[in-house]
Amino acid sequence: MASDYTLNELMIIEAARHIRDGETVFVGTGMPMVAAMLAQKTHARNMCFVVETGPISPEALPVPTSVSDPKAMHRAAKLGTLREVLGCLLQRGMVDVGFLGGAQIDHYGNINSTVIGDYQQPKVRFPGSGGANDIASLAKRVLVIAPHEKRRFPERCAYVTSPGYLDGPEGRKKAGLKSSYPDLTVVTDLAVMAVDKTDGRLKVSKLMPGVSFEKVRESTEFKVEAASSMGRVPVPRPDELRILREEVDPGREYLGKGD
Amino acid sequence: MSEGQKRQNKLMTAEEAVRKFVSDGALVGMGGQSIGRSAMCIYHEMIRQRKKDLTLVGCNLSIPMDMMVGLGLVRRTECGTGNLERFGTTQSWRKAIEQGKLVNEDYSHLAMVTRFLGGEMGLPFMATQSLLGSDILAKKSSSTGKKHEIIDNPWNPGEKVVLLPSLNPDVSIIHAQKADETGNLIIEGFLAHEPEMIRASRAVIVSCEEVVSADEIRQFPERTTIPYVYVSAVVHQPWGGHPTSVYRCYAHDAEHMREYQKAAREGGPAFEAYMEKYLFSCANFDEYLEKVGGLRKLNRLRQEMAELL
Repeated sequence: MASDYTLNELMIIEAARHIRDGETVFVGTGMPMVAAMLAQKTHARNMCFVVETGPISPEALPVPTSVSDPKAMHRAAKLGTLREVLGCLLQRGMVDVGFLGGAQIDHYGNINSTVIGDYQQPKVRFPGSGGANDIASLAKRVLVIAPHEKRRFPERCAYVTSPGYLDGPEGRKKAGLKSSYPDLTVVTDLAVMAVDKTDGRLKVSKLMPGVSFEKVRESTEFKVEAASSMGRVPVPRPDELRILREEVDPGREYLGKGD
Repeated sequence: MSEGQKRQNKLMTAEEAVRKFVSDGALVGMGGQSIGRSAMCIYHEMIRQRKKDLTLVGCNLSIPMDMMVGLGLVRRTECGTGNLERFGTTQSWRKAIEQGKLVNEDYSHLAMVTRFLGGEMGLPFMATQSLLGSDILAKKSSSTGKKHEIIDNPWNPGEKVVLLPSLNPDVSIIHAQKADETGNLIIEGFLAHEPEMIRASRAVIVSCEEVVSADEIRQFPERTTIPYVYVSAVVHQPWGGHPTSVYRCYAHDAEHMREYQKAAREGGPAFEAYMEKYLFSCANFDEYLEKVGGLRKLNRLRQEMAELL
């Protein structure tokens, strides 16, 4: 059973399940786009997909390599502007889910995609925010997808590019963010972690099939705890796997060649 | 400030447009995003003319920014990302920042377009409610003045609002599908931050795939993306966006994108060799197009795009 799918496929399939039909989802580049496409082709046919370069409600073709890729514009309701989507939809409060990837994610769900080390002369420079800060700041709910690697999950991010709960349960409220207490969920290839709104910290809410809590703990730099009720992610259904492989990413651009 | 551009024939060569409208030390607004619709033919010319001490601004800054940074022509960047997505971070930019050779100021994409929005409306600053609580507000480079101001909403005390300084580029560089000779533009596909940035700029150089007649524009004025009043120069250069894609015209050239990224990642002689082969030894963009594979390659990219539409 377990060898029927890769961890990467499992992660994408689980992330897609967090999108509900009819929702407006602001989708970042890479894995979020793949998972959102899967949701659109399975249980969320009427979701509204929004991409930062301007496409509103596209039916993306397999598989965009960039937010400026015409594949991400296919059969859109409108090809608008960046201000239209990040401003008039997202900041205006019309986006249900912000869907991001992340270089580094800390205990409070903050994301770093900018620098490691000193800001002015960093040890490592990453691409930067793009629309990610806006999406994390302004969406009603935040969904993050990232492979589970220890160094990816430090106690505190060296630089907060995109806000999670900042420094505690009231962190966003105190900072003045209008979306003060969003549901914030991180889906990895080992587990699903969700912010516990009583302390603002990520906790393990579900384990992937065949993965132990100990394994998650070992693979996370911050001291991750289990949520009060910890469940298990259901194995991929045959239709989820088939659609992901045949209709979403047939070239295995993001799925990889197998692990 | 700009007084608007006149209704006159603005067709010229890239060489002429850059000589006239880009000066050393200029604040340059960059259009396109990532692997999509960069005015490569104009940037090649800026590089051949060695325009230097530039400040490059935009939302996502991609290949042309990276080339200019790699050649040491850039003093400063202000942007949301330096990124080619699937092709990786812009490598010369990454290295220059890590080595302390380039000042970069980080904003989000909404923040950058908010600054252009202030600029295009003739206002000194503009408001957003993004960025709050993040290090994009908390940290800045030492050469950046006041980066932002947080105020209380005067009509709803307790509600925070971020003010950002407006941005008016000296010149913006754009690639469009169609333009008439006076500079009326039709841009197809995604628009990203371009409308706001163009209208905020003191001068605008546009390269285009096709020059259309004024009648064609004026018969359907509702299709005009940008009217001539904002545009300074029109350069007719088919395939002028290569290796980035131009919606409805041609796909991005993944092979060439990887070739550039490899050279930029390696840096030193590999980067210099790329620049020599594809820019400095070419008198113009048509010679570059021959070197990257000529019509055979380009028609394949056209075919690839056609299959997506």
